[in-house]
Amino acid sequence: MENIEYLFAGFAVFWAGLFIYLVLLQARIRNLTREIERLEERLAESEDTPARPAAPSTPPREHTPAERREAAEQGA
Amino acid sequence: MNLSSLVGTVLARADQWRWTVMPPLVGVAMMAMIVGALVAAPREIVQGEVQRLMYIHVPSAVIMYAAFFVTAFSSVMLLWKRDMRWDAIARASATVGVFLCAMVLLSGAIWGKPTWGVYWSWDARLTSTLILFLIYTAYLLARSVAGPLDEQAARYAAVFAIIGVVDIPIIQMSVRWWRTLHPQPTVFTPDPALPNEMLLVLLIGFVAVFALAAWLIMLQSDTERASQRVTALRAEVDHREMA
Amino acid sequence: MGPVLTVLRKDLLLAWRNRSGWASAAAFATIAVLTYSFAFDLATGDVRPLLPGVLWTTFLFAGVFAAGQSFQDEVEDGTFDAMLVAPVPATAIFAGKLAANLIALLIIEFAQLLLATILFDVGLFTPELLGIVVIGTVGYVSLTTLLSTMGGHVRGRSVLLPVLVLPLLVPLLIGAVRATGAALGLESGTAPWMLLLGVFTLWSTLASVLLFPVAVER
Repeated sequence: MENIEYLFAGFAVFWAGLFIYLVLLQARIRNLTREIERLEERLAESEDTPARPAAPSTPPREHTPAERREAAEQGA
Repeated sequence: MNLSSLVGTVLARADQWRWTVMPPLVGVAMMAMIVGALVAAPREIVQGEVQRLMYIHVPSAVIMYAAFFVTAFSSVMLLWKRDMRWDAIARASATVGVFLCAMVLLSGAIWGKPTWGVYWSWDARLTSTLILFLIYTAYLLARSVAGPLDEQAARYAAVFAIIGVVDIPIIQMSVRWWRTLHPQPTVFTPDPALPNEMLLVLLIGFVAVFALAAWLIMLQSDTERASQRVTALRAEVDHREMA
Repeated sequence: MGPVLTVLRKDLLLAWRNRSGWASAAAFATIAVLTYSFAFDLATGDVRPLLPGVLWTTFLFAGVFAAGQSFQDEVEDGTFDAMLVAPVPATAIFAGKLAANLIALLIIEFAQLLLATILFDVGLFTPELLGIVVIGTVGYVSLTTLLSTMGGHVRGRSVLLPVLVLPLLVPLLIGAVRATGAALGLESGTAPWMLLLGVFTLWSTLASVLLFPVAVER
């Protein structure tokens, strides 16, 4: 039992690091989701314009804002 | 079916699990690892309680290497297929690898203090882990100075990641030789056959950290994809509103 | 071989035209050697144990600095983009550029060796030492030349380059310092340092030559 405080510190550091990482990631996901929604709304407003420039290397399937919001909420 | 489409299919399938299968799997595995490490595993006689750090430290170290290999593999695929999705995966696994590397260095330092009397020693393995940390931090820095859809920057970063991964064995060899000049008690004596209970808990630790890393890479590459999408959408909005 | 020589001539011409950049690299190396002498008091006592480290850190920093500078000049002159669209194989562009950087850096390094010989009264111009310097320089210049082309338009690149290159160069630094120490008759351990240096140089040159065309492909 002589060095149990180091054992505690080691695990604490790992969990604290993981927690910080997840919080930062979550904040970034939320900001990006919000930004995507905002931009899609703006695009929808100017939908009348027929111009349809190809976004470079966008994937064939994208998640809808609803899916992303759900994902972000579950991650919280 | 060629290699890349096979890998793509597997990744796509795993991708669908990120909010269904993965969180409970990661949670259960991590809990099992903790219970195993703190309760079930026998107390090591020489080092005492602190040796229980092994069950998270060793798996993290091994899976950190795996993450860096995923980065290198994705970088090769990016250069070959020119698909920015591979850039997202490369960045994501490098981020997770750097995170694990930091955890390994920190938990190793905390383990080192009671065991060797110092937090840090210029042992070959410690030194090469630190260099690895610096290389992939530099990779993330180099990639992040340009935008998420900057293909040129992505290609340069991919070249750097490939060079980095090939450099790993040379670094390890050179650092080992470098340390031979100042002989000191080796930090990691090869374990004379761990008892079965310890091996079992270690195995659970590997499963737990592997699941955690896979899940984090999925989330992180989702995030990178989202930021690519934001950049693309911004360009589109600008284009529309100009017209 | 033709295109390589053409690129080499162009790069040497460019280096000559932008000689102020290279002169700064040389001046930087000189000042670094002097700074080390004051910092470690190399003027007194037995300087030899520190000399290999002083020389190689100076060489590496000057090399990284010079590679970044020479690529910067090229980007500003617009010759790099012009050359990429020219019907010249990318490998030839790289080989020419590598050779030009190598020649310029070897000149700077020999000047430093001469300076160190005079300042510290140590015979540095032995065939063995010159061989180590040449092999080591090829090893690091190939990587700095490749990585200096990283994002030519990105601001803050001059800080980024050493951060990228130096961790990769750890094996070269260890091998070169120890081999130089052995050549100076210092206690350097028994590991095959020349082999390490040779393997690293071979690897870094091959990797750079193979990856440069991939990196700059548009």
